Amino acid sequence: MGELGWFAIDFLQALITGLLVGGTYALMCVGLGMIFGVMRVVNFAQGDFLMLGMYAAYYVATALGVMAVLGPYVGPVMAGLLAGPAVFVVGWLLHRFLIGRVTGVAAVGAEAEGHYAQIILTLGIALVLQNGGLILFGSLPLSIPTPMSRESWEIWEFLVNQARTVSFGVAIVVALLLYAFLKRTPLGKSMRAAADNPEAALYMGIDVDRCHRTAFALGCAITAIAGGLIASTQSFQPYIGFDFVITMYAGVVLGGLGSILGAFWGGMTIGLVQQLSALMLPFQLQNTAIFVVFLLIIFFRPHGMFGRSAERT
Amino acid sequence: MLKVRLRSVLTAALAAAVLLSVVTAAPAEAQPKEVKVAVIAPLSGPWARQGQLMQMGAEMAIDEINEKGGIKALGGAKMKLILVDAGDTAEKAKNAAQRVLAQEPDLVGGTGAWLSSFTLAVTEITERAGVPMLTLSYSDAITERGFKYVFQTSPTGGTQARAALPTILEMAQKATGKKPKTVGIIMDNTAAPVSFAKPMREGGLQKLGLELVVDEVFTPPLADATALVQKVRRAKPDIMLLLPTSVPDDKLILEKFNEFKLGQGRIPLIANGAHIGSPELLKNVGPQLLEGLMFIVANWGVKGQEAIIERFVKRTGEPWITQDSMTAYGDMWILKEALERAGAADSKKVAEEIRKLDLKEGPAALAFPGGVKFEPNGRRAGAHLVIVQWQKGKAVTVYPAELAVAEPIWPKQ
Repeated sequence: MGELGWFAIDFLQALITGLLVGGTYALMCVGLGMIFGVMRVVNFAQGDFLMLGMYAAYYVATALGVMAVLGPYVGPVMAGLLAGPAVFVVGWLLHRFLIGRVTGVAAVGAEAEGHYAQIILTLGIALVLQNGGLILFGSLPLSIPTPMSRESWEIWEFLVNQARTVSFGVAIVVALLLYAFLKRTPLGKSMRAAADNPEAALYMGIDVDRCHRTAFALGCAITAIAGGLIASTQSFQPYIGFDFVITMYAGVVLGGLGSILGAFWGGMTIGLVQQLSALMLPFQLQNTAIFVVFLLIIFFRPHGMFGRSAERT
Repeated sequence: MLKVRLRSVLTAALAAAVLLSVVTAAPAEAQPKEVKVAVIAPLSGPWARQGQLMQMGAEMAIDEINEKGGIKALGGAKMKLILVDAGDTAEKAKNAAQRVLAQEPDLVGGTGAWLSSFTLAVTEITERAGVPMLTLSYSDAITERGFKYVFQTSPTGGTQARAALPTILEMAQKATGKKPKTVGIIMDNTAAPVSFAKPMREGGLQKLGLELVVDEVFTPPLADATALVQKVRRAKPDIMLLLPTSVPDDKLILEKFNEFKLGQGRIPLIANGAHIGSPELLKNVGPQLLEGLMFIVANWGVKGQEAIIERFVKRTGEPWITQDSMTAYGDMWILKEALERAGAADSKKVAEEIRKLDLKEGPAALAFPGGVKFEPNGRRAGAHLVIVQWQKGKAVTVYPAELAVAEPIWPKQ
C-alpha cells in the first residue's frame, strides 16, 4: 500500500474515533447548553455532575447488581442510563434549595441580574462536590469493568472500540429523545417559552420557576448520562470533572450560547478536531488544536456555529 | 448587689480553675516534647491516592518508632506526624510548604511531595528554612540545583533509564535468542518521564543499538489512545517504552494495545514508576492485560522486606506495598536515626546528621536496599533500581537477582 493509502487509512481511523469520542462530548455539552439556554446561568459545577454520573453508574453497575443481572455488555449501558435519574434528583434538590434563590424570578432586580451570586454559588457547589466526593467515594481511581472497553469490531482495516461505539449510539438516542421532548411535549414547549421570554411566559400562565427547575435537573442528568457512559471506557476519581469542564464550555460556546442543537455539534466538533489534529500536529498539541479552531470559529462567527446574531427580543 | 456578688463568685471560681489547671498540668511538663515531622503530599485532587499511600507508610513507621520508646536521645520523645495537603498544582504545594513552616516552626524535617514538579516547588521553600526534605521523586533537576537540604532517595529518572535498559535488552536476548533492534516511546510531558527519556533520545538508544521508530508525547490527561497506538501498529517496534504517570492514562493505553491486537506480550512493554504496579491499576484493567508487563521503579517490595510488607498489609488492608508507602516508611526511619544522632530537635542539626548517615542495617536500610548514605549533592549513594513484572495478577520484583522474589518471564510473541 502506498503512502497515500496509509494516510487514507489513518485519516478514516481518526475520523471514526473523533466521531465516537465526539458523541459523548456532544451529550455532555447538551446538558450544559440546556441549563444555559433556558436559565441563562453558567453552571461551573457541570463537570462535577459528570463526576456524580460516573460514580452513580459505577455503583448502580456494581453495588446494585445491574451488571450481575444484565451481564458485562448490557449492564454498563443500563447503569450509564440510570445515572441520569439519580443525578436528576440531585439537580432538582439543588435548584429547589440553592440555585432557585439566585436565578429566575428571585434574580429580578439583583445586581447584574444575579450573575455574581450564580457564579459564586455554582463554583461553591463544584468545590463541595469535589471534596465531598473525596470523602464519600475515596481517592481510588475506578471504572466499570467491562470487556467492551478493550475489544473492538474489525471493519476491513479499521478497529472500532465497542464501548465507545455503544456510548455513541446511546448518546445520539438520548439527544434525539431530548429534542423530541422539547419540541413535542407541553412541558418542553413551556420550557422553550420560558427560555425565549420569561416575562411573557409568566403572563401566559407558565410556571417559569418549574421550567427552570426541570431544565436544571435535566441538564445535570444528561451530562451525568454522558459521564455514566464514559465510566466504562475511562477510569475516574472525584476530581475528574475538571478534565472535561473546559471541553464542555468550549463546545457550548462553539455551537452558539443558548442553542441546544449548537451545543451538540459543538461537542462533536471538539471530538473530531481533537482526534484529527493528531494526523498533522504533534500529539501533545491536541488541546491546543481544539482552541485554535475555537478561536477561528469565534473570529468568523462571533455567536458560534448555531448562535443567533440578533439578541433575543 | 446580687450581680456584684455573682461576679466575684465567678471570678473566684475562674481563678481556682486556672490554678487547678496549672497544678495538674505540671506533671505533664515532665514528658519530653513531641518531635514534629511532616508528610507534604497531595491528599486532595487527582493524586490524592498517592498521598494517602505515603501517609499509610509514614504512619506505620511513626507508630513503630513510638511503640519502641520514641527518640531515646531526646528522653523518649514521641514523633508526631504533620500531614500537609499539597493539593493539585505546584503553586498549592508551595503554599502548603509555606503554611506548615509558619504554623510549625519547630518542624525538624519531612518527606514529599510525590510528583516531581511539586517536589521542585516545595523544596524551594524548605531549603530557605533549612528544613531537610526527603523525596522519592525522580526528576534529575531536584538535586541539580546545589541545594543542601534535599535528599533524593530514588535513583533519578535519567539514571534509571541508563541502568535498566541494558538489563532488559539482555533479558530479551536470553529469552528470544535475538536482540531487539527497534523501540517505541509513548510518554506524557510531565517532569519524571521527560527526565527518563532525555538520555535515551540523546544517544542512549543509539548506544544500545536501538532505532527509535515511534516517539509520541501527550499532554495528560489522555482522552483517547487510538492515534498513539495506531502509530505503534504501523511501525511494530520490538519493544515499547510506556511512560505515562497516572492510572487513568495507563488504562486507556493498555486497553488500546489489547484492542489493536498488540497487547498481552505481542509487543513487550516496559514502563516506569510505581503507579503501573498499583493495586488500583489491576482493579481497572484486570490481570490478563497486565501479564508480562515490566516496569522500572526506584523501590518495591523486595527480598528481605517480608516483615515490613506483612505488617503493612495487615494494618492497611492493601494487597501489597508500593514504592510510595515503602519510601515514606523508610524516610520516617531516616529522620528518626538522624534525630538520635543529633540529640536535639533542631532541623539544621538533623540535616547535618542525615548528610553523615551511613546505615547498613535497621528499618531505614531495609526500606532502601543498598543502604542509606547520601552523596554531597543529596542523591542516595548506590540507590538500586528495581525491575518489577506483573505475573499472574501480582507485581513482583524480578531484578536485581539478589532482591528478586521471582524469575523474569520474557513475553514471547
